[in-house]
Amino acid sequence: MSATQPEPQLIPAAPGLAPPPCLRQLFIGMLQVALSSFGGGLSAWSQRIVVEQRRWMSDQDFLTGLTVARLFPGPNQINMAVYIGTSFHGLVGALVALAGMLLVPFTLLMGLGLVYFQVHEIPAVDRVLAGVVAAAAGMALSMGFKILHTYWRDRVALLLAAFTFVAMVVFHVRLIPMVLVAGPLAMAWYWPRRTDQEPS
Amino acid sequence: MNTPFLFLSCTAPSPTQLGEFLRLIWTFLSLSLFSLGGGNTLLTEYHHISVAQFCWLTASQFSDVYALAEAAPGPSSMIVGLLGMGAAWKEGPWMALVSAYAAELSILIPSTLLMVVACLSWKRLEHSPWRLAFERGLGPITLGILFVVGLKILNTANHGVPGYLVSIVVCVLMLRTRVSPLWFMAVAGLLGGLGIINR
Repeated sequence: MSATQPEPQLIPAAPGLAPPPCLRQLFIGMLQVALSSFGGGLSAWSQRIVVEQRRWMSDQDFLTGLTVARLFPGPNQINMAVYIGTSFHGLVGALVALAGMLLVPFTLLMGLGLVYFQVHEIPAVDRVLAGVVAAAAGMALSMGFKILHTYWRDRVALLLAAFTFVAMVVFHVRLIPMVLVAGPLAMAWYWPRRTDQEPS
Repeated sequence: MNTPFLFLSCTAPSPTQLGEFLRLIWTFLSLSLFSLGGGNTLLTEYHHISVAQFCWLTASQFSDVYALAEAAPGPSSMIVGLLGMGAAWKEGPWMALVSAYAAELSILIPSTLLMVVACLSWKRLEHSPWRLAFERGLGPITLGILFVVGLKILNTANHGVPGYLVSIVVCVLMLRTRVSPLWFMAVAGLLGGLGIINR
């Protein structure tokens, strides 16, 4: 309906880029990302489709998006869809991109969920699930180890992580008070000082 | 690790159907902005809320639902939809679906709105000291929470030596190889079906 109306662009048109997508194209693009990534690698697929195939934004704008998506609360890939949508059509774009990205996977998961709650009491199903769950727990366990190397040389960071771990596991501190208390303290410690050179 | 005590004693005061529904929406709305580090940091909180606090799921249902969300395509944070479904399952499948969509929307809306604002004002935020302090300060806390989450799921999922062994092997394989985790789940599912992994 507003296809003829020029919208404010966050990403300026650059040589080599396609004209910015309309809402329908945005929806279809994110749907394509979601479908292509069945089997994994959502982030890689969204770069391939949004940057290389459809040429909606430059590599640099895409990487900026990844930075913002990781920084702010919310699942990274979902935040990335919000960034892509917002870049072209503000809030409406964000909602359309989200819908495109989630429609198929969420519908599928809901189908799986309905089946699961119907059949999970069957002993054979429960036995198989006991195995699957053990593997999934291994995946959960690997998340912390995966980013541990980033902090390996920063003793204060490791201390903070250990403090968080002990507070939550031993003293049963819940997430929200944990973040509200430890967050500001950590931010104060890491507040950029004008004198030292920031390593990236 | 999880005592059967939990299964028997989980009797949250059960409000009206509407009350339960509003409580679910409020719970996820209020958690949304605390999903640091890609959202996985919320898993212990999800566990606490849905198993111990409101009795939406049993501990083993929680680990099943977690595995389901990991195995299915798409962002694994869609587990919130399944928690919502479990919360209203006793009301029948249609109410469960409504509850699932409500839960998922509740967890997504606040963080999405903040993300939109962040994108629109990124030029100003990019070099702000707040951004640098937030990024560096919250990183280590996220790291700590991810280990809490790993331990929690590990203990919720397993009740015997074979289960723990499988989890640890999968963890190492996840770190050392690039094999799709779906294969690990398939093999472990087979081992479970053969009765090797019990719970």
